[in-house]
Amino acid sequence: MSTRKKRSIFDIIDEYFEGLDEWAERFREAMIERPSWNQRASTIEPLRDILVTPDEVIVTADLPYAEESSVQVKPLNEDTIEINAKMTRKVRFADFGITQHAGEFQTFHCQTRIPVPVDTKKMEIHLKRGILEIHLPRKHRYRIPIE
Amino acid sequence: MFEGLKLSEEVKIIEKQKIPSGATMLFGFPDVGLVGVIAASHMISELNLTEVAYLDSELLPPLIVLHEGLPHSPIRIFGNHSVLLAVSETAVPADAIQHIMRTLVDWGKNKNVKVMISMSGIPVQNRQDIHELKVFGAASNSSVLKTIQDKGMEILKEGYMVGPQAIIMHYCARIGVPAITMLAQCFYNYPDPEAAAATVKELAKITGIKVDVSALLEKGEEIRLRARDVMKRTQRELAKMKKTQEYDIPVYIS
Repeated sequence: MSTRKKRSIFDIIDEYFEGLDEWAERFREAMIERPSWNQRASTIEPLRDILVTPDEVIVTADLPYAEESSVQVKPLNEDTIEINAKMTRKVRFADFGITQHAGEFQTFHCQTRIPVPVDTKKMEIHLKRGILEIHLPRKHRYRIPIE
Repeated sequence: MFEGLKLSEEVKIIEKQKIPSGATMLFGFPDVGLVGVIAASHMISELNLTEVAYLDSELLPPLIVLHEGLPHSPIRIFGNHSVLLAVSETAVPADAIQHIMRTLVDWGKNKNVKVMISMSGIPVQNRQDIHELKVFGAASNSSVLKTIQDKGMEILKEGYMVGPQAIIMHYCARIGVPAITMLAQCFYNYPDPEAAAATVKELAKITGIKVDVSALLEKGEEIRLRARDVMKRTQRELAKMKKTQEYDIPVYIS
């Protein structure tokens, strides 16, 4: 006779989300485990965040020392945007007491994938106290009528 | 040099000099906005605090911090005759944090600290629109709560607290050590020197430890740039601790 315990729908959902968490963690590690600067291109990758609301996607990026007029946000394709910004000063490793690396940086650069379809043509950008805010209206707003 | 207390096999605190009794013990650990770490770093420099002890643990990742070519533990305690300040220069792994914080609290209790104060942040979504940042407080017992309330601190009445300060608060309440948590409105994912300055200013009101924050505010952009990597690693540990639960509305069970 089988002694196998019957799993409830909640157990199955929990297991599914645990698996998803593990996958997300592996993905995050693969993406995060690299330097936040690129010596060859002399660029620094900014910290960024994405918030998805029912109407829009808001991408923010922390851009200390960013020169407002130099901030550029460019759609690369339907789901990826590229952020570039010049800094008002050059930053050298030596400024932070680091002598084992040589190099100086004066540009922020990163690419960010947008998780849902958006209309990049209607994108709006603002720079508030060094934080870049990109508003991207969502493309498809599905409505399922209640029967 | 003094060999410190061996409070547990996995976490040890090694004392480098005689530790004063009856000090105020502060904590600056990586959390949202790195508020505590930035505040702690500024206080160490402004109050000329020196390293009095450090933490050694197999639970930490295999890393040391080099300053002027010499190795240091990433978790150290700085101090003078009246202040002890525990600070971490690295994101503390979520699965080690319970053990590490409890050992630090046990150590502080053994040194008869009069109060333990965690400096941290509470994230707000419209942070860039807020100029006057509020600092909320919570306390380990009703008498300390009344004291901070009388000194003008706004109380965090309902909600969840996640992270190092939650462990300190809970453990202090259990073992009868007065404890306060200070939570400044801050960014979730970005280093926030302004929130750290608000915390340091509020700390002066409740402890009398006065520290000028003008240099901290002037160097704001430099700190934000410098703290990016620690912030990034802290984000990962916060996710493991389910930090976003702080946004949840608790079920009211009185």
